[in-house]
Amino acid sequence: MHALVRGAGVAGLTVAFELRRHGHAVEIVDRAGYVGAGASGLAGGMLAPFCEGESAPESVTRLGRAAAEWWEAALPGHVGRNGTLVVAPPRDTGELKRFATRTTCHEWLDEDGIAVLEPALAGRFRTALFFRDEAHLDPRAALGALKEWLADDGVRFRFDASSPGTDFDAVFDCTGSAAIGTVPGLRGLRGEMLYLETEEIALSRPVRLLHPRHPLYVVPRGGNRFMVGATMLEANVGGPISARSLMELLNAAYALHPAFGEARVIETGAGVRPAFDDNVPRVLRIGNAIHVNGFYRHGFLLAPAMAREAVSLLERVPA
Amino acid sequence: MLDLYGVEITSRLFLGTARYPSPKILADAVRTSRTEIVTVSLRRETAGGKAGGSFLDLIAALGVRILPNTAGCHSVREAVTTAQMAREIFQTNWVKLEVIGHHDTLQPDVFALVEAARILSEDGFEVFPYTTDDLVVAERLVEAGCKVLMPWCAPIGSAMGPVNLPALRAMRAHFAEIPLIVDAGLGRPSHAAAVMELGYEAVLLNTAVANASDPVTMAGAFADAIEAGRAGFKAGLLEPRDMAVSSTPVIGKAVFS
Amino acid sequence: MRNIIVNGEKRAVEATTLDALLSLLDYKGSWIATAVNGEIVRRAERNAYALADGDRVEILSPMQGG
Repeated sequence: MHALVRGAGVAGLTVAFELRRHGHAVEIVDRAGYVGAGASGLAGGMLAPFCEGESAPESVTRLGRAAAEWWEAALPGHVGRNGTLVVAPPRDTGELKRFATRTTCHEWLDEDGIAVLEPALAGRFRTALFFRDEAHLDPRAALGALKEWLADDGVRFRFDASSPGTDFDAVFDCTGSAAIGTVPGLRGLRGEMLYLETEEIALSRPVRLLHPRHPLYVVPRGGNRFMVGATMLEANVGGPISARSLMELLNAAYALHPAFGEARVIETGAGVRPAFDDNVPRVLRIGNAIHVNGFYRHGFLLAPAMAREAVSLLERVPA
Repeated sequence: MLDLYGVEITSRLFLGTARYPSPKILADAVRTSRTEIVTVSLRRETAGGKAGGSFLDLIAALGVRILPNTAGCHSVREAVTTAQMAREIFQTNWVKLEVIGHHDTLQPDVFALVEAARILSEDGFEVFPYTTDDLVVAERLVEAGCKVLMPWCAPIGSAMGPVNLPALRAMRAHFAEIPLIVDAGLGRPSHAAAVMELGYEAVLLNTAVANASDPVTMAGAFADAIEAGRAGFKAGLLEPRDMAVSSTPVIGKAVFS
Repeated sequence: MRNIIVNGEKRAVEATTLDALLSLLDYKGSWIATAVNGEIVRRAERNAYALADGDRVEILSPMQGG
């Protein structure tokens, strides 16, 4: 079949990849000039089905377990498989215990255990949780590589808003937050993040710092860069990061390690996460299109599973 | 029946809407709790949001009364501006007034609280002030125009339950005619029941429900506990004694010493 | 045409009233508050509120803190 995919973010590109695997012809259109222009480009890139299980329904953990393997198979060398480290400030050790009771596939570490995994954090925390089976990738690098793979595989990319003018057998709408207001039940959650750069600290894996109100994560991107995220505000609003959010993120990074206090802030960003009321993504047929949307904070984690579901929907009931 | 600024309320459980795992779980918890009033916190950001399935639409669809909350405000000016914005957005004169003095412990700044309460009351707001258990501060809030008081029982989100029962008892005795609603610090249904047994009119919860493993079931548990505590209070609670009292009469027994 | 500033951005708009401006900018739905030159303009007054050149309009929407 000849399929049109609207949206060149993580949803659109994974759907396109699955379509190619099934031998369909694919064209991708996006109103921005590059891949990952929406929330995907601001994602953390953590493939953390167990950590996310703390607040997400069981289906998210179940569908997300295979994500690391999917990304590794699609983009060899892009996936770091060093697990996730979860820590809490001494005053908030209760948060760590609570996190442990709500999640699975973790082990407790003491000071020595933490020092072995992350020498930079030695002596800073008495205890931590280690989620050995979790993974991470660099979203922008991954999307760029995926785009190249698809282009080499014959997929045509059109970076403009105009209609392609050719007939398609199937249309997939993966436009993310652009679909808020047209897809019923979809709302937007503002998220803010930043990049820090410093030679003073090295991390091998994402580190989550728990806090009753401002939990955050720091993800190493290589090249002395660290992504720090993220705020979560119930509002469909873009625009630059607010001063208050910037302060919250920087304070939390500093609490993780004082070296972040001297780091250079090389980028800040804000975007809108699309989500349904249960914060779980859906594959929906609306009119002539199959919509794949509502990824909330689980884009890279769940896009592979949703893409598979979308393509199998196509093949069961052709448009 | 509880009368708050002329509005009759049946349920004595009020629910905050922050930090639930998802809006769906929030909606289910609200329904299960049988609450009639939810608080919604606002941040004053200069950015228009586009409509479409928003969080506030979801809350509005629950059919409960919204009590806007100046959560996270640290100054009189911030609290007043946020309250004015909230009145516009929600078309209500009700405002739960929080002016925080310490961003980490979230303790109220009682001086700013009283001033903001006065300014807002004069501007026609019906103020629900989140305050400490200090009786003088409470007096000043009433003088400033507040007809309801919302004392804490422990720091926000601490789940400690009432840490100073004598203070809560004193406040109840001192303000016999004013609706008192405990806000902040509750963790367990038994805490809520204990507070209702003191004769408090209602309880406001957020973290205790939102952070539970099963917020929906927890909401129901709190609702039941609050009803039980209130019923116990109305039924005339026994005061503790040092010595045992037999419930079976002694006279008339075959043997007595 | 009015030259006004909306949420910090200079704009030239056809709208003559605040209400018309909101329709023009597609702020449908009720969850907003409006302020002009630092003063809140109540919902009921927006229809009658005439915009002038140089007005600073703020369209405020609530954000629920996560």
